Amino acid sequence: MGQENGLFIYGIVPSDVEPTPEAEGVGSPPGEVIAIQHGELAALVSEVGLEEPLGRPADLTAYERLLDGTAVVAPVLPVRFGTVVTGADAVEDLLAAHHDRFAAALDELEDRLQYTVHGRFDEQEFISGFLAENAAAAALADEVRGRPEIESREQRIRLGEMISQAVELRREAENRDLIDAVGRYAEADVALPPSHELDAVRVSFLVAGDEEDEFVRAVEDFAERRRDLIRTRLIGPLAPYDFVSAHQLVE
Amino acid sequence: MTVSTTTGQPGSALERTSGGGGGTLADVVETVLDKGVVIDAQVSIAVVGIQLLEINARIVIASVETYLRFAEAVDRLSIVPKDTKGLPDLVGDAAGAATKGKAVSGLGKAAQEISGAVADSLRDRGSERERERPRRRRDEER
Repeated sequence: MGQENGLFIYGIVPSDVEPTPEAEGVGSPPGEVIAIQHGELAALVSEVGLEEPLGRPADLTAYERLLDGTAVVAPVLPVRFGTVVTGADAVEDLLAAHHDRFAAALDELEDRLQYTVHGRFDEQEFISGFLAENAAAAALADEVRGRPEIESREQRIRLGEMISQAVELRREAENRDLIDAVGRYAEADVALPPSHELDAVRVSFLVAGDEEDEFVRAVEDFAERRRDLIRTRLIGPLAPYDFVSAHQLVE
Repeated sequence: MTVSTTTGQPGSALERTSGGGGGTLADVVETVLDKGVVIDAQVSIAVVGIQLLEINARIVIASVETYLRFAEAVDRLSIVPKDTKGLPDLVGDAAGAATKGKAVSGLGKAAQEISGAVADSLRDRGSERERERPRRRRDEER
């Protein structure tokens, strides 16, 4: 390996996992993905040029495609995007240094996949519902509606703040309701921070293979009950990105 | 939002987006960024600092800008509060000048007075917002 190359690490898998020949890595042109074994473990890696900046959309997509594709056939511990080491020796050092902990974590992830439920409030539906319930906000709405911002700025800020707080409260409640409704079909759950100001729910679940169907049905029911208010999406199956914590593994 | 990557049973309230990087770039960024095992100090001597293009996950912090945007959404409300009787007719009149769906569901007399220039300027503002939004979102997704 030349001076100017490094190994990009995607994830850690059991040693019997082999990348398929068509697996494409990050970089342009995409690097070939190989497995470097140590003991019961292997790391999925591909060579990258150190001069080449990474993080293009295609790099992120390749990283996710490889990890999600692996996760449906074998447990995988995602390694943070952008982790590059000097060479194969460094990969083996990494696997050796944490062998037992990685192996135990992989055992726990056997036959488990992540699903993320992400929902967004319909803005008009949410706000009209809020105004119908909150007389003070409705009065403010009457004051600002149809008036230019410059004349009604203070009232607008107050009204907007009330709406924003209502969204936050409702989001907490929806996250709780979602976990109550579908959490029993999952091994673990974690509420994620909102990624949009109208986010209604955002929770990741770790789901066992034999509970997948029931889990999905429960999410469908949840979505159905809120179909006018929340646009609900189910993203997955995914590698368990939200269920490997750096701290848990490194301590 | 790319519809082609999203599936769902006909009539289902739940949209399904496959993993494997099949979602939008925003989905990919939100799914993978800042997740996963971090290599610790023991082997960090072998970790190479590579140049990562700047990718920022969206962090939502409520600000005055957010508040003003919500207030603007109130201007665009086209849904009549459910407990108010007789309004649809009034709104129907007021909406004559505005495009359906962007009509301002003003209450009582005010609604009747919204016509011509006022409704037009509201409508313009509405469509400006819609043009702005995707552009801003794309910027933030990178």
